[in-house]
Amino acid sequence: MLDIKIKNQLIEVVGQNRYLDRKEELACFSYDAFIKEAMPDAVVFVQTADEVARILKVASEHKVPVTGRGAGTSVCGAPIPVKNGIVLCFSKMDKIIEINTADRYIVVEPGVVNADIQNALAPSGFFYPPDPGSMNTSTIGGNIAQNAGGPRCLKYGVTMDYILGMEVVLASGKIVKFGSKNIKDVTGYKLCSLFCGSEGTLGLVTQVILKVLPIPETVKTMLVTFGKLDHTARAVSDIIGSGILPAAMELMDKMTVNAIEDSSHLGLDRKAEGTLLIEIDGVKEACEKEMDNIIERVKKQGALDIQYAQTPEDRERLWTARRSAYGVFAKLAPDILSEDVTVPVSKVPVMIKRINKIGERHGLKIGVLAHAGDGNMHPLIPADRNNKEEWVRVEKAFDEIFHAAAELDGTLSGEHGIGLAKSDYLPLVMNKDTIELMSRIKHAVDPDNILNPGKFV
Amino acid sequence: MNQKTLQNCGKCGLCLNACPVYKILKEEQASPRARLQLIKAFEEDRLLSSPLLKEIISKCLMCGSCTGACPSGIDHYSQFMEMRQKMAKDHVENPMVKSMIWLLSQEYRTRLGAKMAKLGQKLVPERFKEKYGLGNIPLKRLPEFNITPFREAAEETISHGSKPAGTIVYFTGCATNYLYDDTGFSTLRILEHMGYRVIIPKKQTCCGIPLLFHGAQKAAKNNIVTNINALDLDAADTILVDCATCGTALKHEYPLFTETLGLDKTKVEKIASKVEDIMSFIQKRFHLLSFTKDSIEKVKATYHIPCHLKNSFGSHEQAQTLLNRLPCIVYSPADNADQCCGGGGSFFYEYPEISKQMVTKKIEGVKATLADIWLTDCPVCRMNLAGNMEEKNELQVVHPVKVIAPFLN
Repeated sequence: MLDIKIKNQLIEVVGQNRYLDRKEELACFSYDAFIKEAMPDAVVFVQTADEVARILKVASEHKVPVTGRGAGTSVCGAPIPVKNGIVLCFSKMDKIIEINTADRYIVVEPGVVNADIQNALAPSGFFYPPDPGSMNTSTIGGNIAQNAGGPRCLKYGVTMDYILGMEVVLASGKIVKFGSKNIKDVTGYKLCSLFCGSEGTLGLVTQVILKVLPIPETVKTMLVTFGKLDHTARAVSDIIGSGILPAAMELMDKMTVNAIEDSSHLGLDRKAEGTLLIEIDGVKEACEKEMDNIIERVKKQGALDIQYAQTPEDRERLWTARRSAYGVFAKLAPDILSEDVTVPVSKVPVMIKRINKIGERHGLKIGVLAHAGDGNMHPLIPADRNNKEEWVRVEKAFDEIFHAAAELDGTLSGEHGIGLAKSDYLPLVMNKDTIELMSRIKHAVDPDNILNPGKFV
Repeated sequence: MNQKTLQNCGKCGLCLNACPVYKILKEEQASPRARLQLIKAFEEDRLLSSPLLKEIISKCLMCGSCTGACPSGIDHYSQFMEMRQKMAKDHVENPMVKSMIWLLSQEYRTRLGAKMAKLGQKLVPERFKEKYGLGNIPLKRLPEFNITPFREAAEETISHGSKPAGTIVYFTGCATNYLYDDTGFSTLRILEHMGYRVIIPKKQTCCGIPLLFHGAQKAAKNNIVTNINALDLDAADTILVDCATCGTALKHEYPLFTETLGLDKTKVEKIASKVEDIMSFIQKRFHLLSFTKDSIEKVKATYHIPCHLKNSFGSHEQAQTLLNRLPCIVYSPADNADQCCGGGGSFFYEYPEISKQMVTKKIEGVKATLADIWLTDCPVCRMNLAGNMEEKNELQVVHPVKVIAPFLN
């Protein structure tokens, strides 16, 4: 419970209706899609930068932790208020302020849902490329906090690559603005890239200018199956190595495909050890040429079958298969753990072999799903956290997966972020001085450590 | 409570944007995911029953959209239904809901209530009709009660010729019986034209869904048993519903509550397997229709897909196929045709502010279609849509059967 004085100060800012502190309501802000939970003392819904600033002033004055939240779809525990305090929720701060396709940008508030940006841009023939799996629900503020990626980020790049400018409220309550509406802007430090991916530990974004692109005229989608997982992985590195840049290249192993088929009967080949969903987009002629090139390469690597999406419905069906993977795994056991270690694409075959070995060693079923074209792996482990003996094996398996990725010049997270899930493993990929540099930056902008404390920094 | 089903919520949040209430409020506590987590906390004794918990659980349209969006295949609907029963036991309902339960739990009360209300509609001065209403709907925009209840006005068994195409048992629901007999008579006209024998069991009563939503299990059981006995006729090839919500009761809720309420499992399953909604019923037998050869002036029609038709019957596409095939209309779909209207049984008068925002969006979407008539096959949606329209650009809202019947040979 917050001190009554603090409570009243917060209510003065947002009003009674946008302030929650009853247990039943607080419980709804204690989780995201990660397994841990922690209760906040209060929840406030903000609607303007000024409100955010005033709340942070109150929080600074009383040194109360503040954890930002959008739609709570993070899978690493980033918005879980482990040190309690205030959850500052942006879901109601959701206006699209300006759409300017002539200059190729859109200005939005942090609570706007990713899919609503797409819907707003589509009539003018534009889109915003980052497409996290949660895009129908997740807010752009959350996407920025986690520097979210998605399948088509292989070609287009991740959230950070689309941020032109930002308005951010610092822990002190000061409002800072940097970047601009210009594609090129080298005025001062590139602060956008400091705040994007900071998981709410450095400041809270209250407005953002995003770069947008014209929707490509042609999209071609195909599904390729292989008899061996190794062949599948080699096809991936062969295609990427040849200089073709597909919009997306998604890999599913046999276990994943079977789990999908068990639940949604999409006609996938259950016997295939590896399945690749490949999508290319761009100018029609270029797509056709690339398509031929890809077909030649997958055949050389031993493809068993190639299915082409002939209609938009076909394409939707293939993507439905891919998108449903996480959910169907969730049906296999009470809990589902998914990580997103990433390795250089040429190391994808080795990494997959290692993941399989780790699974065998610990007697665990590990499904392998990957945005394979950029080396972003999603090993999925269905498990039961109440089964203590199994849980120990699950934790060991992930420990070894992180080590394997680090050994292969990979990294801990490609798109989910560190949050609570991976903070212990930072030393695997960063030396002591680097971690200390991050702490110094954190201390400089948030000296009292009130912003999302208890996380990776 | 099925622990396994509950625990399988991966908390991914994909249900949030499928939930019409969340989309309006943008508050986690109004989301299906939150309700599941709260139910789990309650089951594990981490959270006690409270009026606030009850309110959070009830601030839900029971539309089933979350289940459709859930990648883990969770049956939210059943979870919520069970939790509602538990909460209703511990905490009192609001007086409006209480009187609804009282009325619907005995057919004679419903009948009497409808008569009184009919009389009331005549007696209430105009200025009161402007001022007072149900939720956002002013009295004067509520439908008028039928002069005679449909089931009294129609014969119990209607046969045409000696060789009927089959036998239909027609479950009319309360709305057709007391409010919208135009739906009932149009349905009869179509069935007659198709050559079916129709039985409208006099003994049928309210399906019980409104009672179950509010935890009135005992009252619901009486209704359910009455209906099972009335509908379980060997002669019936199809049990036809003109309202997808009543249909959901027969098809899903009765089986769901078989064990809890000690119902006759064999009969319940037999009934459930025979239930069909009128839209897909006609669509599947379209070849039996012959339309008048006279030149028909087509009206531009748009359609509101009732949530239960989409989420429980999955027949919204059938319904739209049918509309596209009809020679008497030009079907002009609205972008938001499948979005909930905010009616939700009693939701529209329990949470009028949320409901208003939803229905306003619906009406905006429909205006863009430039349609002359708005079709929907759920009586609550119909009441809610018609009741919330401004008088100056009013669209007539009717059941689709109403535009089919007049043009048959």
